[in-house]
Amino acid sequence: MSRSNYGLVKYLFLAFMGLWLLITLFPFYWQIITALKSAAETNRTIPTFWPEVLHPENFVAVFAEASNFNALVDSFIIATGNTLASLFLGTLAGYAFARFPRQAGGENMAFWVLSNRMFPPVAVVLPMFFLFDATPWGTDSHITLIILYLVFNMPLATWLMMVFFRDAPRELEEAAYLDGYTPLRAFFKVTLPLVLPGMISVAMLCWIFAWNEYLFANLLVGTNVRTFTIVIPTFTHGSQTLWNLQMAFSLIAMLPPVILFILLRRYMVRGLSLGVVKG
Amino acid sequence: MVDGSAADEPSGGNSALGRRLDRGDPATFPEWFNTRKPRANLIVARWVPLALVGLPVLVLFCIVVYPTVWMFYHALHDTNMMRLFQSNWSWVGFENFATVLSSPRFGDSVVHLGIYLTFGACLQVLLGAALALILYELVKNNFLRVVFLIAMVLPMMLPPSIVGVLWKFLLTPSNGAINQALLNLGLIDQHIEWFNAGMSLWTIIIADVWNWTALPLLIVYSGRVSLPPAVYEAARVDGAGTWTTLRRITLPMLKEVIAIAFIVRFMDAFKFVDLVFIMTSGGPAQSSELPAYIAFQRGLREFAIGEAAAYAIIIFLVSAVLITLFLKYLKKVLKAQGFA
Repeated sequence: MSRSNYGLVKYLFLAFMGLWLLITLFPFYWQIITALKSAAETNRTIPTFWPEVLHPENFVAVFAEASNFNALVDSFIIATGNTLASLFLGTLAGYAFARFPRQAGGENMAFWVLSNRMFPPVAVVLPMFFLFDATPWGTDSHITLIILYLVFNMPLATWLMMVFFRDAPRELEEAAYLDGYTPLRAFFKVTLPLVLPGMISVAMLCWIFAWNEYLFANLLVGTNVRTFTIVIPTFTHGSQTLWNLQMAFSLIAMLPPVILFILLRRYMVRGLSLGVVKG
Repeated sequence: MVDGSAADEPSGGNSALGRRLDRGDPATFPEWFNTRKPRANLIVARWVPLALVGLPVLVLFCIVVYPTVWMFYHALHDTNMMRLFQSNWSWVGFENFATVLSSPRFGDSVVHLGIYLTFGACLQVLLGAALALILYELVKNNFLRVVFLIAMVLPMMLPPSIVGVLWKFLLTPSNGAINQALLNLGLIDQHIEWFNAGMSLWTIIIADVWNWTALPLLIVYSGRVSLPPAVYEAARVDGAGTWTTLRRITLPMLKEVIAIAFIVRFMDAFKFVDLVFIMTSGGPAQSSELPAYIAFQRGLREFAIGEAAAYAIIIFLVSAVLITLFLKYLKKVLKAQGFA
C-alpha cells in the first residue's frame, strides 16, 4: 500500500474512532442536560437539545423524598460491608496462595477460586432466597447482599491479593523473623505495608462492583432495604416518569464509581484487567 | 501494581529492620539465612496455610457449591413453591429438562440468545479490538490517549440499572433523543418503535453494545500495551510496513487475548439479564426473553422451582465449559506476561 494511501486510511480509522467517541458520550450529554430541565420540558413532543431554563435545583429536589437518600445509604452500607469482607477473606487466601502455594492447594485451587467469579447468578439466587428466608433477619436485609456479593468480589480480591503478595519479597518477612517478630507481627509490620497500595485498589474495585450490582438486589431485597440500583428504574409519579429527577439521581449515584475508575485507570490497563476485572 | 514505587522502597517505614535492609548489609543476616534454600517456606505451623485458605473456601462452599447442588437436586424433582414449604417433593428424573427443552418459550429464547451472541457479543469484541488497536497505534499523544481511553471505557463503569433507564429514555419512541436526532439528520422519516415486538431485542442489544464494547476494548488494549517493544523495533529494522506488522506480529501475538475477550463476553451472554429486566421485562409477548431471564421468572415469580432449576443447570453447564476454556487461555496469557 502506498504511503499517501496509508495516510488516508489512517484518517478514516481515526474518524471511525471519533464517531464511536461521539456515540459513547452522547448519552452522558443527554443525561446531564435532562437532569437540568424542568419536568414540563422533558415531556415535550419535540425534545430540546439544550434546556431553555437551567434547573440545577433538581439535584436537591431528588432528596425531597427521603427514600432516595436512604437508597444511597443502603447501597453504601452494602458496598462497604461487602468490600471489607471480600478484602479480609481475599487477603487470607491470597497470602496463602502466594506464600504456601503447595500447602494451599496449588494452582488449581487458585483457579477454582477465581472461576467462582464467572459463576452464573441464576444458579445461586433461588436457593439463597430460601436459605436467607429461614434466617432470623430474613431475605430483605443488608446482610443478604453483603454475603451474596462475595460470590463475585471475593474471588477477585483473592486473585489480585495473591499477585500483590507474590510481588512483595518473602525475604523481608524472613528477616523480620530473625529480629524476633512473630509471624503475625511480621505480616502486619512488613508485608502489609508493601501490599497496601494494591489492597486499596482492590478495595476500590470491589466497592464499584458491589455498588453497581442490580440483579441480586432486584430479586432478593426491596422493602426494608432498597439499593439505589433498584430505586432508579422505579422513578415514577403516578403514570409519569420523572425523567429529570431520575437523570439527576442517576448522575449523583454514578459519580462514585466514575471517580474511582478514573483513579484506577493505570491499574485497569495493566495485564491484570484480562477479564479478571469483570465476572 | 498501582504504585510501582512502593515495591522499590522495601523499608516499610522507619523501622530499624527497614533501614538495615535498605543498606543491604549482608552482615545483617546469619550464615544459615544466606545459604538457605531460596524457595523454602516461611516458618509457620502446617495448619496455617490450610486455615488461611480454608475460611474463604468454606464461604465459597456455602454461597456457590451448596446452591449448585441444591439446584441439581431440585432440577430432578417436581418441586414448586407449595411442595417446597411442605417438604413434599418427589423424584421425576429428567422430566423438568424435557419440559424445558421441548417448550417453545425455551426455543425462542435460544434463538434470541443466538442473535444476541452474534450481534451483541461478537460485534462488541470486534469493535472493541479495532478501537483498542486504532487508539494504541494511531493516537501518539499520551494525554489524548488516556482521555480517549477513559471516555470509551466509561460506560462499563455505570451501574446496569442506570444504563437501562438511560437507554430506555434515549429510545423513547414518541419524543426520545435518538429518534429526534435521526429525524433531524434525515435518516428516518417517522419515529422508530424501539419497544415493539420486532424491535425490543435489538434495542437491548444496542444498549448492551454501548455498555460493554468497553470491556473487550480494555482487554485488547492492555494486551497490546504488554507486547514487547523489541519485537516491533526488529520489525521496523527489517523494513516491515504498518500493515505487515499488524497482520504478522500484533494480531498473532494478541490471539489469546482476543480469545479471552470472546470467551468473557460469551460467558456474560449466558448470564445476561440486567437490561432485559430493566428495559423490556422480556416483552412484549416474550419477544426479548433470554434463557437466564426465563429461569428467574419461572423460579422467583412463577415459583416453578424444578423447571427454573433445570434452566439454571443448563446455563451452569454451558458456563462451566466456557469457564474452563477461559481459564486455559488465561493461564497461557498470564504465563506469557509473567504473572502465574
